[in-house]
Amino acid sequence: MSRPSTAATVVRPTRATVLGGLLGGAATSAGIALTATSGWLIVRASERPVILTLLAAIVAVRAFGMARPFFRYLERIVSHDAALADLAERRSSVYAALVPLTPARLGRRSRSQVLTGVVDDLTDVVEAQVRVTVPLVASAVAGLLAAGLTAWFAPAVGLVVVGLLLLLALGCALAWWFESRSRDELLAARAEASRVGDLVARQAGELRAIGAEQTALGWLEAAHVAVAAAVRRQSRGRALVAALLLLGTAGATVAAAALVDPSATGAPVAALLVLVPVAVGEALAPLVDTMRALARAQGSSARLGALLDQEPAVHDPEHPVTCPDSRDGDGPVVRLESASASWTGARDDLAPTDLRLAPGRHVAVVGPNGSGKSTLLAVLARSLDVSGGRHTVDGTDVRDRSLASTRADVAVVDDEPHVFATTLAENLRLARPGADDAAVRRALDLAGLGPWVDGLPDGLETRLGTGGRGLSGGERTRLGVARAVLADRPVVLLDEPAAHLDHPTATAVLDDVLDATRDRAVVLVSHRPEALDRLDAVLDLSVPSPPKE
Amino acid sequence: MRPFDPRVLTVAPAARRPVLLLAVVGVLQGAATIGTAFALAALVVAVVGDAGLVAPAGWLAGLLVVRAALGWAAERTAARAGVEVTAALRSALLRRWLTVPAEQRPDPDRGATLAAQGVAAVEPYAARFLPALVAGAVVPVLAVAALVLVDWVSALVVILTLPLLPLFAALIGAATRDETDRRWAALSALAGHFVDVMRGLPTLAGYGRAGRQVEVVAEVSRQHRRATMRTLRLAFMSSAALELLASISVAIVAVTVGLRLTHGTVTLQTGLLAILLAPEAYWPIRRVGAEFHNAADGAEAVATVLEELATGPDAPVRGPSPRADSLLTDELGVALEGVSYSYPGASDHVLRDVSLTTGPGLTVVTGPSGGGKSTLLELVAGLRTPTAGTVVSGPAHLVTQRPFLPAGTLRDALRLGTDASDDALWEALRAVGLEGFVAGLPHALGTRLGDDGVGLSAGQRSRVAIARATLSVAPVLLVDEPTAHLDEASSARVHDLLRDLADRRTVVVVTHRPELVRLADRHVVVAGTGAEVHG
Repeated sequence: MSRPSTAATVVRPTRATVLGGLLGGAATSAGIALTATSGWLIVRASERPVILTLLAAIVAVRAFGMARPFFRYLERIVSHDAALADLAERRSSVYAALVPLTPARLGRRSRSQVLTGVVDDLTDVVEAQVRVTVPLVASAVAGLLAAGLTAWFAPAVGLVVVGLLLLLALGCALAWWFESRSRDELLAARAEASRVGDLVARQAGELRAIGAEQTALGWLEAAHVAVAAAVRRQSRGRALVAALLLLGTAGATVAAAALVDPSATGAPVAALLVLVPVAVGEALAPLVDTMRALARAQGSSARLGALLDQEPAVHDPEHPVTCPDSRDGDGPVVRLESASASWTGARDDLAPTDLRLAPGRHVAVVGPNGSGKSTLLAVLARSLDVSGGRHTVDGTDVRDRSLASTRADVAVVDDEPHVFATTLAENLRLARPGADDAAVRRALDLAGLGPWVDGLPDGLETRLGTGGRGLSGGERTRLGVARAVLADRPVVLLDEPAAHLDHPTATAVLDDVLDATRDRAVVLVSHRPEALDRLDAVLDLSVPSPPKE
Repeated sequence: MRPFDPRVLTVAPAARRPVLLLAVVGVLQGAATIGTAFALAALVVAVVGDAGLVAPAGWLAGLLVVRAALGWAAERTAARAGVEVTAALRSALLRRWLTVPAEQRPDPDRGATLAAQGVAAVEPYAARFLPALVAGAVVPVLAVAALVLVDWVSALVVILTLPLLPLFAALIGAATRDETDRRWAALSALAGHFVDVMRGLPTLAGYGRAGRQVEVVAEVSRQHRRATMRTLRLAFMSSAALELLASISVAIVAVTVGLRLTHGTVTLQTGLLAILLAPEAYWPIRRVGAEFHNAADGAEAVATVLEELATGPDAPVRGPSPRADSLLTDELGVALEGVSYSYPGASDHVLRDVSLTTGPGLTVVTGPSGGGKSTLLELVAGLRTPTAGTVVSGPAHLVTQRPFLPAGTLRDALRLGTDASDDALWEALRAVGLEGFVAGLPHALGTRLGDDGVGLSAGQRSRVAIARATLSVAPVLLVDEPTAHLDEASSARVHDLLRDLADRRTVVVVTHRPELVRLADRHVVVAGTGAEVHG
């Protein structure tokens, strides 16, 4: 599924990055030239010539000294601007590509983690343009210039510099190999450490309740040991290039010193020739960082490719049936008849199931993990199509209707409603654009958030989310419910809305939810016994039988 | 931000060794770099003077090999320090959260973010910024000291110009601070937008709003690019200014040395050394500046973690308090006196003035829904601290309504908190009536639970949790609604089990089952505003 991610596909040299590399090459070359001309100047001065003859060298030293920061500045501006332009373009195209894959192709759980991963991967791939192409081009330009310059004075020393460059290239190749080899292992180890950290932070109370504190700290310790081992392996790559750079410098400098002939070139040039390998070694030190960026970008690119290359789980029909609008204000009647469904096509995640939904009918869905509760909701929300049996709305097979028409009837409240970094009112209004403040307020009241809103400093205009006011788990769940209420959709699907809440909060939230959705068709997936007695039917997916009334 | 907060080493002792090693390697690298300058100057002098090359070349090669080894060690140590500081901080945080009651823990989302991503931001800080800081503090001092010995005139030039670097940096910083702060705020809002709409994509898609966001993402990304470039231009400009300042300073050294050489007042070796040593005084300071901005996130994360670890007293010692001492004679007992509780941030009490004393035997707790029964058990288990009154209890094992089962095998789940043998596990499973079910699983005790394994029904989960409770050695066993999900036969079995356990321990069970109430030695009715003891 994943595209082959060779260096070439991940790092595409563009005009802007090559320009950045050339500017960087000019800056790096100026740095090498500064050391070389300074050496020349000092040795020439020690020959005690007329001062005027030194003037050209003095000017050159100053010019190179000023050229380096100047070109470095231009290089950074050009390459960062190119990267940001690239980032802007890729962000919107990746977002557009993800929309039809949402939610069915984003994994079954922790979708927000998958999506955060996309953000990071995208950044890695774009950064590689700046952190790989630019230093590689710059190093090549400066290295070859230095080799050319020295070869002009003494061909043998030119060859020595070329040898140093080849050694560095070899070092980079080895570093890339180390980095790539340990990349996935390190990523997995870090993910595991994060997972355990997250788990223990969230379940600290439950773990204390059963005296499992030591065990949990043991998991953490094991995860940290694995990360440390992976980092140790990975750091070999960087350490190798850092060491090779200095070893190469040592060899090249000694070789240059042995090969120069001051009687042929003159003493000042001889000094210059001995100093160039040192200057090259110092100027090319940034190469240490490039291979990590490259290896990371390749991993990121492969993950992005695997995610985005998927086929959407559901499609619009070619000629959608326009459904007659003859409901007289009532909601639709939704039926599943022996409906089964599968996320992957490999096995049925939902065994053949019958279900009838009508306005005002509240159905609970229970069953062990893996019995297909979330799959059932995905089918009802038309995130997933049935693989067997029928799914109809008002008698029409949903596959003959447009996706939008079926989805417009359904509001989903999952266990982790996202709170956007905007005002409370806008957070709700996304469910029904144009809803006035009174409608928003009514929805909040129905979801049991009235007293909470009254306590907010700016009421409906209070900013929530990142950088704004934080919400407790119960408030977040109620916010999701308020959205669904405001959306005023006839079918409401509740996916374990109370999963993360403590007992009294869960009971209160579920009560409010069922009150707020009294006239809607509601499907409530729950692990908990609370409020089940208030529902009209219980569909137990562990038992292949119709719901008992 | 503080460049380095030494408290890190106090709360994370494991980080001491790598950080110390990092400093030592940094100092050695600085010394070796100064030594290289001497050897290189000697080599050039030998080359132009047609003297013997072997000695200076040998020195230079030797020192560079040493630097190569140190460079290798520095990379390895920096990577290790990054990992160990991160691990130590995460462990310290979680260790604390595992020992304090619920009120002293942050909101789960905040805590989880801090323990996962927040702590990870410390890694580049430790792996990159700290080495730069060490080099920045050590190498310029060594370089200037060497210069003073070699050529005090050049040393004077460096000493006079070197303070200009931090001064300049401070001036640029002060002049642009307001502008920078304003831009950073705008920038982080723009940068956060994409993460926000990405994480919210399922919600937006659910309400048919995702398509419209594509254009918004493009527009905000364009704004982000413009805003970032404005900020970067300023940052790059100031770093270019500092580099220029350093370049000019080095050029002044080079030119004065050159002029003095033409007058014959210094030797070639001295002149060369001066121009090789002078740059060593400047670049480490610029590198600290460059890494300073990169490390700001890490420093902030360190500050947040330290703040979290500093809040409130450390793990309270669970034991009899003076006032309730008289109520309790051994570890088996549970005593509450005048206990009230309200959730953090809530004004109304979920429990008010509850007193009860109980010992070995079966105590059942009943009462209306939302009456604080579960909270009562959490108070007894020490997971919460009462807002008023005292709670005394021996070590307790609490089976909550949503017992925690880890991702892993059934054996892992049962052995959580104990190190029971397989025989003991089977015995516990037999006691709750799950022996046959587990024996029929593909890998018996080794069967994986959860998403990638066997799904357990709510009833099976609660029976596994009770089986686990029987393996615990805690003298006080607290169970919240054990049979809510069970049919009559299974319930009866679990009730009998609890009755048996009560012969040896203090068992407190929250229930609504009259059958269990009939088996109890004591019956407590909790109704929010007090507890009434029957029987």
